[in-house]
Amino acid sequence: MAETLHTLSAAELGRRLTAGALTSRALCEALIARYDVLNEKVGAFTHLDRANVLAQADASDARRQAGQGRGPLEGIPVAIKDNIAVKGQPLTCSSKMLASLVSPYDSHVAERLRAAGAILYGRLNMDEFAMGSSTENSAVRKTFNPWDLTRIPGGSSGGSAAALAAGLVPLSLGSDTGGSIRQPASHCGVVGLKPTYGLVSRFGLVAFASSLDQIGPMARSVEDCELLLAALASADARDMTCFSSDERALTAAGEAKKLRIGIPKGFLGKGVAPEVAAAVNAAIEFYRAQGCAVSEVELPSADLAVPTYYVVATAEASSNLGRYDGVRYGHRSAQASTPVEMMTNSRSEGFGAEVKRRILLGTFVLSAGYADAYYNRALRARAKIRAEYLAALSQVDVLLTPTVPTPAFKVGEKAADPLQLYLEDIFTIPANLAGLPALSVPCGQSGHLPVGFHLVGAPLSEAKLLAAGRLFEAAHGFAHQQAAL
Amino acid sequence: MAEGFDIDHLAKLSRLSLTPEEKALYSSQLNSIIGHFQALAQADLPTSIDDARVVRESALRSDVPGPSLGAEAVTRIAPASRDGQISVPRVVDDEA
Amino acid sequence: MSSSSDWEVVIGLEVHVQLHTRAKVFASSSWGFGQEPNEQVDPVVLGLPGTLPVVNREAVEKSILFGLVVGAEIPAHCSWDRKNYFYPDNPKNYQLTQKDFPVVIGGSVEIELPGPSRNVMGEHKHVRIHHAHLEEDVGKLSHAGSGSLVDYNRAGVPLLEIVTEPDLRSSAEAEAFLRSLVAMLTQAGVADCDMEKGQLRCDCNVSIRHPGAPLGTRTETKNLNSISSVRDTVIFETARQVRELEAGRTITQETRGWNADLGRGYVLRDKEDAHDYRYFPDPDIPTLELSRATVERLAKQVPENLYDRQRRYMDTLGLPFTAASVLVANRELAEWFELSVAAHPANPQGIANLVANDLLRDLSAAVGSTTGFDEAAPAPVSLSSCPIKPAQLAGLVKLTDEGVISKQQAKEVFAEMFKSGQDAAAIVDAKGLRQNSDTGELEKIVQEVIADPAVAKSIAEYRAGNEKAINALKGPIMKRTQGKANPGLIDQLLRKALG
Repeated sequence: MAETLHTLSAAELGRRLTAGALTSRALCEALIARYDVLNEKVGAFTHLDRANVLAQADASDARRQAGQGRGPLEGIPVAIKDNIAVKGQPLTCSSKMLASLVSPYDSHVAERLRAAGAILYGRLNMDEFAMGSSTENSAVRKTFNPWDLTRIPGGSSGGSAAALAAGLVPLSLGSDTGGSIRQPASHCGVVGLKPTYGLVSRFGLVAFASSLDQIGPMARSVEDCELLLAALASADARDMTCFSSDERALTAAGEAKKLRIGIPKGFLGKGVAPEVAAAVNAAIEFYRAQGCAVSEVELPSADLAVPTYYVVATAEASSNLGRYDGVRYGHRSAQASTPVEMMTNSRSEGFGAEVKRRILLGTFVLSAGYADAYYNRALRARAKIRAEYLAALSQVDVLLTPTVPTPAFKVGEKAADPLQLYLEDIFTIPANLAGLPALSVPCGQSGHLPVGFHLVGAPLSEAKLLAAGRLFEAAHGFAHQQAAL
Repeated sequence: MAEGFDIDHLAKLSRLSLTPEEKALYSSQLNSIIGHFQALAQADLPTSIDDARVVRESALRSDVPGPSLGAEAVTRIAPASRDGQISVPRVVDDEA
Repeated sequence: MSSSSDWEVVIGLEVHVQLHTRAKVFASSSWGFGQEPNEQVDPVVLGLPGTLPVVNREAVEKSILFGLVVGAEIPAHCSWDRKNYFYPDNPKNYQLTQKDFPVVIGGSVEIELPGPSRNVMGEHKHVRIHHAHLEEDVGKLSHAGSGSLVDYNRAGVPLLEIVTEPDLRSSAEAEAFLRSLVAMLTQAGVADCDMEKGQLRCDCNVSIRHPGAPLGTRTETKNLNSISSVRDTVIFETARQVRELEAGRTITQETRGWNADLGRGYVLRDKEDAHDYRYFPDPDIPTLELSRATVERLAKQVPENLYDRQRRYMDTLGLPFTAASVLVANRELAEWFELSVAAHPANPQGIANLVANDLLRDLSAAVGSTTGFDEAAPAPVSLSSCPIKPAQLAGLVKLTDEGVISKQQAKEVFAEMFKSGQDAAAIVDAKGLRQNSDTGELEKIVQEVIADPAVAKSIAEYRAGNEKAINALKGPIMKRTQGKANPGLIDQLLRKALG
């Protein structure tokens, strides 16, 4: 049995654990064995503390034995992106700057997972400080797409998506600032949800762009994604942007076949690869055939999304990353005789090229004489984009587009042109700017590479997105898919 | 609004030291990205920004002291420390 | 400085005061003076990756309370911004502050200038407050050999920055403003304002102009930590600017420091080097709605204004300025005084006299001396451990007013009350101090004394018109009554007996 455990869903693993047909230790041992064979090849994880994992598994098995199981995630491993704090584990953000940092505290989601009985399983590779769309910006290692090891897995949660696609873990956590959960989910053929801004506490998520960042669940099926979301989403007084208990009433799913689906005008046009357009059009036809009302909607300011995002995100990042100066923790340069030199050299040595580029850009858009033209205008554009999305979502239940215009590209292919890479996020960025929930679901292939479609809903309409995803998933063979390795 | 930027000034504000090659590369990349931002300059935008979120006083923290990490934990993760304090090169008055 | 009579100095102050809270402003870590370095630091204070600020309700309420004390507007909303600059004492390398939407807008502080003498009240005027904003303090740097050491205990302590309009016109006005402000902050329980603990710091903007002319170029002297430093800075900077302008030079807009040991200022940086703080709204703290219910609740906590109270004491209770000003300087003392007056409303002046002199003197002696932000002010005393209760003091004054004891005896009784906490009447009885006002008995003694030939000479002198000669007769009467005779009654009986 052990050789097939990695193919099972979290829901199925949960059933076997509950039935006593499986122990968490056996599951974790099987996954560790697979990790030992495959992680070198895929590069999804940056750290795995085997003894710690097995100790957690034993504790879980003991709870279950004692009749004190904590629910559907009891004993199930969840791998965590390396920008989410887990006490006693590394928190490197795949940066040289934090290479030596061990977190002295738990994030809210880590606490939630412990409370749910889950096994906090290893640290996942990412673009440094979540800045990137290919995981090529990791200072630790490269991560490769399990479907084609010459290609990128997407990013910045590339490790989270690749670990799922390679069958290294049944569930993972990612973070999404402009598409960092959904874009790698699409490239790796898995499911990824970016929740409504404020649904999941950011306490313990290393900030990239605070007004856009959100932790979300990733899995190989919509059902598993939903299972993990339920464990993550709760009020947390330590994050003032997180909804309080009385603010988090989720919209009911309703009947999936009666959902009104909006197709943003022009989104399937220029820049979308034909195979991607074909797969997404097939998904649209599927919903129409199921009885969903499909209509075209206007989002006139869509072209402003990418520039608005890169102004807002880099501005916040330039400030958020100010704390990495070599004084209190993290990398300190040996070459310094004054504090200014020490900070400057520590930062110059500790940060990679993309991080520096975004800090410079963010510093520029906030600097005296330019803030009005860039940062302040971007805030106004953001308000306009949000208003247009909310207006569209008052007419339809969900907006459907491709997740990414093109399938995963070759490692190194776009490294030289940051602007080209920024355009990878053209469909995913608006949900972050408007704080809306968004889901990527596998819907086909371009050659041997997975393709996903993207659903965006009104605030707190996660259940509708997931219901729509389940309807599609149930009728197609993409759920639980794994790359052959 | 597409006036140029001073890469040296930006690097100084950002506490980054750049090699001449990096300066040239970042200058050209930033120029290209900022060029893409021009769409913002031409757009017809609302003058007021609606605050996406307003919180009430119930979101505030009670004035109840919580635990401290303690000097031992603080200095353990610090790159350099002495007598419970974090040490840095000597600070000259208002140097920063 | 004869030439400076042509010049008018214009001063604006930015006062940073640590608010009276238990926890820090955006973190739950405690704070307070005298802890070992870095013992009051949690992950949020240290700016560890992934940590987030949550605003302390008490810090917001203390800020609102200050606003209500100075009659400011409390807006419907306030919000926080990031001020970005790198410095080793600044854990996140940005400071959370309020740039565009502060918690307090406007208001004014009434000040009292020194009078021509100690007994005469000086001129009053109002200094407008531009706004006050709630922000976080930074850590502390100290120098050790070739390096510096950082202690983050102070980082994150709630700071209210109170910014005045440029309404002050002299060092004396600046001093008076700070005295008044400190009194209002401490009396409302907003802050303790203890300079030794660095709880109050001040930035001082100074410019000069010819009266009526537009404002001149100003300089800002930062981080002054006592009233005398502010006064000395204004004097120094005024003289320097007059000298510069009269020599035909111009004033540079610059940031300056103050060396209190040398008594002189120095340039920190000029405008060219001004920081580019890249302010923007903090995305971690949503806009905060300030409810009217909270404002109304806090309004009930606002104590009577210092100078309204002083006017009431002088106009309604008839107190002299000296006593009134001493009493109102300490809210606890004033309230203690008022309780005492309530127990014996007939003689507020008598009560004020004992409170402002005897009680305050004994309480101060018990406290010892400390140095506050205002070095000239007396050590703050607390009434909580005062052995005398207000009604007991009222009882003492009442006994005096009724002639049961003399004023001289009252002092003695007061001293005993302060020692033992007993009622005045009990002490008077125990010591047998009750005055003899039995007219019959005293008349008898008077007759006996004036019959004594030893006083015949004094009687003759009195009858010849020497009023003072009568006093020589009082001593023997007092002696015979063991000092218990009511002096007024003796005087009356003597005059009657001598015709």
